[in-house]
Amino acid sequence: MVDNHPIDIPVIELVRPIVGFPDHRRFALVRLHEASDLFSLTSLDQEGLRFLVVPPEHFFPDYAPEVDDDVVADLRIESATDVLVLLVLNPGGSLGETTANLAAPLLVNPGARIAGQIVLDEPGLPVSAPLLG
Amino acid sequence: MIGDGITVTVLEVRGDVVRVGIDAPRSVKVHRAELLAQLEESNRQAASPSEDMVAQLSEALHRD
Repeated sequence: MVDNHPIDIPVIELVRPIVGFPDHRRFALVRLHEASDLFSLTSLDQEGLRFLVVPPEHFFPDYAPEVDDDVVADLRIESATDVLVLLVLNPGGSLGETTANLAAPLLVNPGARIAGQIVLDEPGLPVSAPLLG
Repeated sequence: MIGDGITVTVLEVRGDVVRVGIDAPRSVKVHRAELLAQLEESNRQAASPSEDMVAQLSEALHRD
């Protein structure tokens, strides 16, 4: 399917980088399918680089990370409704092997078009939490 | 992260700028370094998933 009409997708600037990718700051957050809550955080700096991210509600309904004042300031958060929490998925080879990163969620301020991977460093929030069971 | 034997020392005061030194026990630094290494590894593995996995995950996250 070829789309000849350019679409305006907002550029999200990372004020805190994806850990290990310090120079990749410009991304687009794209819903991959209109009926699915799977998003792609797609790099605008490097073709082919993207991360799959998902809101926590599907698999971790009690996930409610607390962030410190530095994060609130960096992401210009004025109220809880300003921020979207997304988890980075590590797909493995199948759904059963896919894990979500609870230790360092991606926090997005869509209004300000900024985001960051926030290292929580909380016990009980693993880097690789299985989606299933 | 203040606590766990971390000391903050005022090194210099110049006008309204204060330079501080933060001394953390080695165990805290090692823990932080290990966590960041884990996160980097996880992010690298997560980067650029296969189309097949994208399709599977999209299906699993289908909203009703």
